[in-house]
Amino acid sequence: MSSDAVKKRKPKVIRNEEGTPETKRGRAEGEQDVLVYHEEVELEGRDPQQDYLLYKDTCAALAKLMAEIQELKSSGAKVGSVEMEERRRQCSVHFITLKKLNRLAHMRLKKGRDQTHEAKQRVDVLHLQLQNLLYEVMHLQKEINKCLEFKSQHEEIELVSEEEFFQEAPAEISRPHVTRDDHHQLTLARLDWELEQRKRLAEQYKMSLARKEKIHKAIEQKREYLSSLQPGLQNIMQASLPVQECLSMPFEQMQKQAEVARHLPPPLYVLLVQAAAYGQACDKTLSASISGDVDEAKALSRPPEDSQDDESDSDAEEEQQNTKRRRATVGVQLDDKRKEMLRRHPLSLCVDLKCKDGSVLHLFFYYLMNLNILTVKTKVSTTTDLSGAVSAGELLNSESLLNCLYASDHGQETPNPTNRYQFDKVGITTFADYVSDLGHPYVWVQKLGGLQFSSDSELMGSALSASHMERTMKLLQGRLQARLALHKQFSSLEHSIIPVSGECQHLFPAKVVSGLTRWTMMSYQEFTELGFVQHVLKAGLLRETDLFFMAVVERGTARLLAAVVVNPRYPEVMPLFSLSLHWKGERSGRTEDNLRAMESEVNVFRAELQGPRPGFQLLTNQIQRLCVCLDVYLEMESQVCDGSEGPKEFPREKMCLRTARGPSRLKPFKYNHPQGFFSHR
Amino acid sequence: MFISLQLLHMSVFSQSFSPCGRFLAAGNNYGEIAVFSLSAALSPDASQASQKPILNFTAHDGPVFSLLSTDTHLLSAGNGEISAWSWAELIKKVRVSCSVNFINLILIVGGGDNNIHIMDMETGIFKSVLKGHTDYIHCLCFKEREEEILSGGEDGAVRIWDSRTNRPVHCIEVFKYEECARPQFGKWISCLATDSDWMLCGGGPSLSLWHLRSMSPTSVFPLPGCQREAVFYQDLIMSVGEGPHVSHCLHGGTVKAQIPCTPSSLNTLALNLKNTEHRVMTVGGSSHQIDVFTNFSYKAFSLSF
Repeated sequence: MSSDAVKKRKPKVIRNEEGTPETKRGRAEGEQDVLVYHEEVELEGRDPQQDYLLYKDTCAALAKLMAEIQELKSSGAKVGSVEMEERRRQCSVHFITLKKLNRLAHMRLKKGRDQTHEAKQRVDVLHLQLQNLLYEVMHLQKEINKCLEFKSQHEEIELVSEEEFFQEAPAEISRPHVTRDDHHQLTLARLDWELEQRKRLAEQYKMSLARKEKIHKAIEQKREYLSSLQPGLQNIMQASLPVQECLSMPFEQMQKQAEVARHLPPPLYVLLVQAAAYGQACDKTLSASISGDVDEAKALSRPPEDSQDDESDSDAEEEQQNTKRRRATVGVQLDDKRKEMLRRHPLSLCVDLKCKDGSVLHLFFYYLMNLNILTVKTKVSTTTDLSGAVSAGELLNSESLLNCLYASDHGQETPNPTNRYQFDKVGITTFADYVSDLGHPYVWVQKLGGLQFSSDSELMGSALSASHMERTMKLLQGRLQARLALHKQFSSLEHSIIPVSGECQHLFPAKVVSGLTRWTMMSYQEFTELGFVQHVLKAGLLRETDLFFMAVVERGTARLLAAVVVNPRYPEVMPLFSLSLHWKGERSGRTEDNLRAMESEVNVFRAELQGPRPGFQLLTNQIQRLCVCLDVYLEMESQVCDGSEGPKEFPREKMCLRTARGPSRLKPFKYNHPQGFFSHR
Repeated sequence: MFISLQLLHMSVFSQSFSPCGRFLAAGNNYGEIAVFSLSAALSPDASQASQKPILNFTAHDGPVFSLLSTDTHLLSAGNGEISAWSWAELIKKVRVSCSVNFINLILIVGGGDNNIHIMDMETGIFKSVLKGHTDYIHCLCFKEREEEILSGGEDGAVRIWDSRTNRPVHCIEVFKYEECARPQFGKWISCLATDSDWMLCGGGPSLSLWHLRSMSPTSVFPLPGCQREAVFYQDLIMSVGEGPHVSHCLHGGTVKAQIPCTPSSLNTLALNLKNTEHRVMTVGGSSHQIDVFTNFSYKAFSLSF
């Protein structure tokens, strides 16, 4: 029934307790509730268990009736008989009961559902309320937390500690009676105090700033005033120059030099300082000065950033230019690189050493920047004219003057081992090629500049320079004096006069007949080609840096050739003589024992021959002794060699005890003074 | 540098082997005596250092002209004094002091005073003097069989003395014999050697071999320079002198060989016959090097001062 269904639906939606259509109708008709039949009421009164039993019974009765009907029908009773009708009626009654029971069951179910539904609704409402409350709780908790976490700005302010606060703050701010108990008040009070203090300090700060400004201005004014004084001072300095010279206190010069010296490279600076110090302390004749281009030196020491900027600009320009120009050849590039590597610092040092006789040794020191070595060039200026000795040409040659100042210090190769790698890069094989241009890099020059390239000593820098300064200067002076003495001696040797000084006369007899006839210089090549010097070569007593000379001593028909090796360090090292005699045949120190003895007489006895200090007479004494020995040799020839009995060419004039001694029958070459006779050693 | 200068001008004047034959002592013109170890120098693993002296000391002021070895001592003669050094100490490389300790030895000394002195080594007293030479004496040798002393000197005479009676027996003036005389050099005799009846002498006159019974020269050796030392060895005669070689000569008078050596002229030759292991000949002269010959036909190596 659709209308029933609709009606049934409506009560479900409205959720009335009255669910049945009858009751609904009953309500709609008016309020006759008391008389309306409520099946629900009846339902409450019935026991479901009984209803179930009733159902079972009814079903059983129905089944029984059905069976009876069946029986009747099978037994052939007529349809519509009374028994059958009776039974049918009973069945219908039972059916009605069943229907009622069914209805009741449905109604019970519905009721149960409605109750459950209701209960659920209630629970839902409560649940919702619970949720609302929980949500509120949470919200409140969050708020509380937020409040608790709140950091007020005041906590960031560093406040003075409480004790300090109570001590320092005045009572009106600190209000101890209140604040001691109440933390909030205490904090407020402290903040107040802080604020006051800060205000006060801000005031002070402003005042200090103002004062500073004032002082600044005052300084500026004074500075201007001072700078205005500068020209005036300059004038005074200029005016005082003559006074300085007069009093020989060259302050301005020294100042200027000090100013320029600031731009010197470190080794030259060390050298300058040490040389000046040495000059002041020990040797008043030594003077040191700086020469060269100061501006260039300043340019070198400018900071690199400026030059880099400049470089990048100029590079850009250059590139444009280069594309137009032809690119330089590889050789030229290499040449440029070499020139760059061998560049000298624009400033150089000049040290003058004066000797007693007035001659001066000028030393020019240069610093090669990329190679980090010092080099030296020399010049000698003498008071007297030094011309006239051909053989002495090499003596004062500035290239070789300072050779071997210390043993084996040739100054041909750079002493800095790192230069080897630098040279390889630009293709320089030996530094010797550039020495005449750039100066000699002697080891002592490096030491004077404080540059230490070997691991010999621990000293560096100024200490190294100071430790070598005195000795080197003395050696330099000695070298110059020795060379000058030799120069003088050579000029008289070339005139065949052996200049024997008065103090050395006692070494020789009064009469010396053999005389020097020639004194010439030889080159290393010529010297090594001589036959009678090979033993010296073999013994390793020759160096290319030595000076070589040939002396010829003659008497009658006898001619003695003496090849002399003079070490650059003369007179520390004795000159070495090798002899060859041309007299009735050729003999040399190698073939004849007596000539060998003569060589030994001249070469070995330094203590006798060197004469008074500083021993510049050594060479001339050796030559004189050579002449004396030749005299002895020729006179002591016992027999005329060719067998004839004629008069001997050289009559014996020398006194001696024995003419021959020893298995080699040596002649007496040793001269005894003052008795004047000759004996064997 | 000074040391190499000294070495350049050094001459070796005398040599002597130790009694055991393993060491060589050499004296030079600076008065130094150097002791070399032959066993080290001759060993198969000898190096440069083993050719240097094991000991080098200054013995005299002047040159050391003569060295002589007894059984225990080395005697060195300088310019007027004779010193004795103990070989035991020398071998131990101890810087020795002069010591004399001999038994039953006599030393015959020929000196610059033209006389021969005979000294008793034990007491150190000169027992007797043999006078006869008119000029100083260069060389001496001793004939053991007849106990005769031979001496040669500057006066050109070789005198033979009887050592028991100390009297002269013979006098040979070598320069008077035409076959030997070389007037261009002089008449002095600088080397003497004897071997039973034979005598070698040379110097100014040529080196000549004499038969002592007949007192006449049997052969004269045509060596150019003046010979300074000569020895008999087996059937050879070896002599050194002016010229950088050792001459091997035969008794007949021929020069068999001339072996070159380093010094330009030689002063001394010594044969080490006491020790069969180190049988060497050493020569020294105008050089700081002493040549050592293991096989007498060629130079093996040089010792150096």
